[in-house]
Amino acid sequence: MINYLIQEPKQDPQGDLPWDGVPAHEIDFWGQLPVQAGTFDHVDGLFYFTYAVCIIFFVIITGVLLYSVFAHRRKTWDQKPLSNVTHNTPLEVVWTIVPLIIVMIMFAWGFKGSLDMTTVPHEAQRNTYKATAKQWNWTFIYPDATQSIAEVYVEVDKPVQFILESTDVLHAFYIPVMRVKRDIVPGRYQSVWFHPIKQGVYPLFCAEYCGDDHSRMYAKVHVVDAATMADRPWNKVPAEDKPVERIAYGARLARQLCASCHKMRDTDTVVTGPSWLGMFTKQGDTYVGRQREVLEGGVTKTITTDDAYIIESIKDPTKKIVAEAPYNKNSMSKFDTLTDDRVACLIAYMKSLADN
Amino acid sequence: MTTNTPAVDVQTTQPKAPRENYLNCTTSFKSWALTLDHKRIGLMYLIGTSLAFLAGGVFALLVRLHLWEPEGMLFSNPTYNQIFTLHGAFMVFLFVIPAIPGSLGNIVMPLMVGAKDVALPKLNLLSFYLWVIGAVMAVAAIVMGGFDTGWTFYAPYSLYTDQAVVTIGLAIFVLGFSSIFTGLNFIVTVHKLRAPGMTWFRMPLFVWAIYATAILQVLATPVLGITVLLVAFERLYNVGIFDPRLGGDPVLFEHFFWFYSHPAVYIMVLPAFGIISELVTVHSRKPLFGYKLIAFSSIAIAIISFLVWGHHMFTSGQSTYAMFAFSFLTFFVAIPTAIKEFSWVATVWKGSVALNSPMLYTLAFLIIFAIGGLTGVILGALNVDLHLHDTYFVVAHFHYVMMGSIALAFFAGLHHWWPKMFGIMYNEFQAKIACALIFIGFNATFLPQFVMGSRGMPRRYATYVPEYADYHKASTIGAMILGTGVALMVFYLVASLFIRKKAKQNQWGGVTLDWMCPTPPPHLNFDEEPQVVHEVYDYTTLDYETLQRDCD
Repeated sequence: MINYLIQEPKQDPQGDLPWDGVPAHEIDFWGQLPVQAGTFDHVDGLFYFTYAVCIIFFVIITGVLLYSVFAHRRKTWDQKPLSNVTHNTPLEVVWTIVPLIIVMIMFAWGFKGSLDMTTVPHEAQRNTYKATAKQWNWTFIYPDATQSIAEVYVEVDKPVQFILESTDVLHAFYIPVMRVKRDIVPGRYQSVWFHPIKQGVYPLFCAEYCGDDHSRMYAKVHVVDAATMADRPWNKVPAEDKPVERIAYGARLARQLCASCHKMRDTDTVVTGPSWLGMFTKQGDTYVGRQREVLEGGVTKTITTDDAYIIESIKDPTKKIVAEAPYNKNSMSKFDTLTDDRVACLIAYMKSLADN
Repeated sequence: MTTNTPAVDVQTTQPKAPRENYLNCTTSFKSWALTLDHKRIGLMYLIGTSLAFLAGGVFALLVRLHLWEPEGMLFSNPTYNQIFTLHGAFMVFLFVIPAIPGSLGNIVMPLMVGAKDVALPKLNLLSFYLWVIGAVMAVAAIVMGGFDTGWTFYAPYSLYTDQAVVTIGLAIFVLGFSSIFTGLNFIVTVHKLRAPGMTWFRMPLFVWAIYATAILQVLATPVLGITVLLVAFERLYNVGIFDPRLGGDPVLFEHFFWFYSHPAVYIMVLPAFGIISELVTVHSRKPLFGYKLIAFSSIAIAIISFLVWGHHMFTSGQSTYAMFAFSFLTFFVAIPTAIKEFSWVATVWKGSVALNSPMLYTLAFLIIFAIGGLTGVILGALNVDLHLHDTYFVVAHFHYVMMGSIALAFFAGLHHWWPKMFGIMYNEFQAKIACALIFIGFNATFLPQFVMGSRGMPRRYATYVPEYADYHKASTIGAMILGTGVALMVFYLVASLFIRKKAKQNQWGGVTLDWMCPTPPPHLNFDEEPQVVHEVYDYTTLDYETLQRDCD
C-alpha cells in the first residue's frame, strides 16, 4: 500500500528514447488518421464513411432533442404535453429498416476489407520476415536470415509478410501507417502482411498490454528503396579491428535488450537482474572477471565471470543461476537467436564499464 | 415546478412528528446491519458502490495526471500499470456492475411493481455482504502488493506476474455470486410479486430493464467465476489451461473472459437504459414512445449480447468464419440500441419538458450515449477495427458508454429518486452547475482520446510518443473539470441530508407506483395493497391539484 503513496520521482529521460529520430505521423486532411504508407485504402474509406454516417445521425438526434427541449419546455408547473402519442408504426419501421440497411453495408464492406488484410498474397509470402516479440523488445529476422533489433527495414513497393511469435506473454504488432494490427499469442504463429508504398521511418507499437515496459516496446520501421535494401544497413556490426565502434554498438544493443532488467550505468535504477557494474575489473590492459556463486543443477559453485560464462548466460540463462537472492529466482529468457558477433560486442561493452 | 408550493394550511395541519418510515422505524445498529428491508439494503449498496466509484475516480485522476507529460509525471511504469488496473477493476467490478441494480434497483423496483419487499429478502442481504467481502478482498489485494494485469486479466501475463492476482481473482469470484443472487432475487420478484392489475405490459420500463439484466446476471456471471477460478488454480497448482508453456491456450482465456464480459456490458448498461426510459417520460409528462418496442429491445439485446463476444478479439487471429459471424451480430445489436435512442427522443418531442436536474442529467446521457453508440458502429467494422483495436479510440468509446452513459444515468436516477428515498431535496441550482461541469468535463476528457486513438496511440501506455502530448493534456484538463463536477455533486447531496429541505410526496409528478406510496416509504412500502387500473405512463391520470398541494 505504502508504495502507492510514496513514489520515487521519475528518472529524467536519459536521451535514448526508442522513438528518437522518428518523425511524428503525418496526419491526413480530415485530421483523424495518419497518412497511410500502405495499400489498405478500404480501411480509410470505410472509416470516413462510417464517421460521416455517425455525424449525420448525431446531428439529427441531438437536433430533434434540443429543439424539442427548447420548444416544448415546461413554462408553467401544470403544463400538459402537446401530444400523448404512444407510437407511430410507419416511423418505427423506418427507423428500424434504414439503420439496418446502413449497418449491413458497413458490415459487408468491412468484411471484404478484412479478407484482403488476412489473405496473404503469394508475392508477400515470398518476402517473409519473422518478428519475435518478448518483454519488451522486437527482434526481426529477414528472408536472408540476418537479424536486426528494435528496427526493421522493408523495401518500398514490395509486399511483405511478417510471421509473428512471442516468447513470453501476449503482444500485438501494430504499425499505424500500414493499418495492420495482430495479436501475438505465445505458442502460436500469426501472420500479417502489407504493401509499403511510401518511403520513410514509421513507428511500430506493441498494442497488447504486456507488463512493466509495455509502452517502451517500440520499433522503427524503415521503408527504403531497393538500393538501400541491397546494402543491408541493419546488419552492420562494426568489424573486429574497430574496437571503439564495437563498444558503442554493444552499448546500443545493451540499451535495447538488457537495460530493462540490468543496471549498467550509475543512473539506472533497475534491480530485476544482477548489475553489470563491477562484473569486470581492469588489470593493466586486460579485463578480469569477478568471482561469483552460482547454482548449477541445484549445486552451488564458485565461478569466474569470463566470456564463456557470459555467452552461456545469454544463450541459456537457466544453466547457471546467480545464487544471491533475489536473482536466484531467474526470470531471464533466452537470447539464443543473438549472433556470436553481437554477443561479442555486448561483452566488449560490458568490459568497457570497468574503464571508469 | 418546485417554486409553486403554496403554504400548508395551518388550521388543519397540526405540527406532528414525521410519519414513521423505513429510515426511522428502528434505529439500532443491528436493525441496519441485519435489515431485510430492500430499501435499507439498497441504501447500504448506494453508500458502498459510491465509495468504490470515488476510489476508482481518484485512480482515474492519478492516471490522467501522470499522462500530462509524455514521460509520465508521477509514477514508475510498474506503478502506473497498477493504478490503471485498479481504476478499471474498481470501476467495473465494484461500481458499474452492482451500482444500479444493487442500489436503485433494490430501492425502486419493488416499489414499482407494488411489492412489500423483494421475493427473497435474506438472499438480498447475503448479496450485499458478499459484495462487502469482495470489496474487502479487493482492498486486501492492494495491500498485498497490488495487481498490474489490467482489469481483463489476460493470460498468460496474469499467470506470470508476481502480484496478488489470486486474491483479486477470488474477490471477483465472490462479487460474481453477489451479482448472481441479486439477479435471481429480482427475477423471482418480477414474476411473483407484482401487484394485482400489474400485467407484464403495465410494468414500468425500469422493471423490464432490471429483469433483462437479472437474466444476464444469472446466465453469464458463472462463466467469469469459473474463469477466475481456473486462473487461480493455474497459478497455485500449475494446471495447464491457459499457459502455453504447460500446453494451455491464452486465446481460450479471452473467449471465456469475453463470454461473460460482453454480456456484462449489457448487465451494466441495461439498468441505465431503464432509468432513462423512466426519467424521459416523467419529466416530459408524456407516455413513453414505443413502450413495447423498448421492452422487447431490452430482451433482444440481452439475447444477442451472448453472441457478440468475439468482437473483442478481432485481432487475436480467430477464424474468418468467426470474424464474419461476430461482426455481423455486432452490427445487428446496434439496431435495438438505436431504437431505444430514437424512442427516447420521440418521447421528449411535444412533451411538457421540465428542465430540472434529473432531466438535465438525462439529456446529457442522451447526447453522450448517442456518441458512445455511434462510435461503437465504427469499431464493429472488421477492417477498421484492425486499425483501431487496443487504441485510445476504444478507450474513448467504452468510456462514453460506461462513464458517460451508465454513470450519468446512475446520477440521473439518483437525483430523480433522492426525494423518494429520503423525503428531502438537494440544492437544484448546485445540481445544475454540477451537471454542466460533468457534461463539459466528460467530453473534454474523452473527445481528444478519439482523435489520438485513430491517429495510432495504443492504450495502457505509461509513457507515450510526444506527438500525442497535446491531446493527453486536453484530456487531463477535462478530467479535472469532470472531477470537480463529481465533487460538487457529492457535496450537495451529502449537504442535503443535513439541510433537510422537505421534498414533495410526488416530487416530479410520476404516475408509476413508486410515486404512489408515502415519501419516504414506510417499512412495508404501501399502506394498503395497490391496485393497478391504468396503463403505465398514463399522465391523464395525474391529479394536478394534489400534485401542487401535497407537501405533507
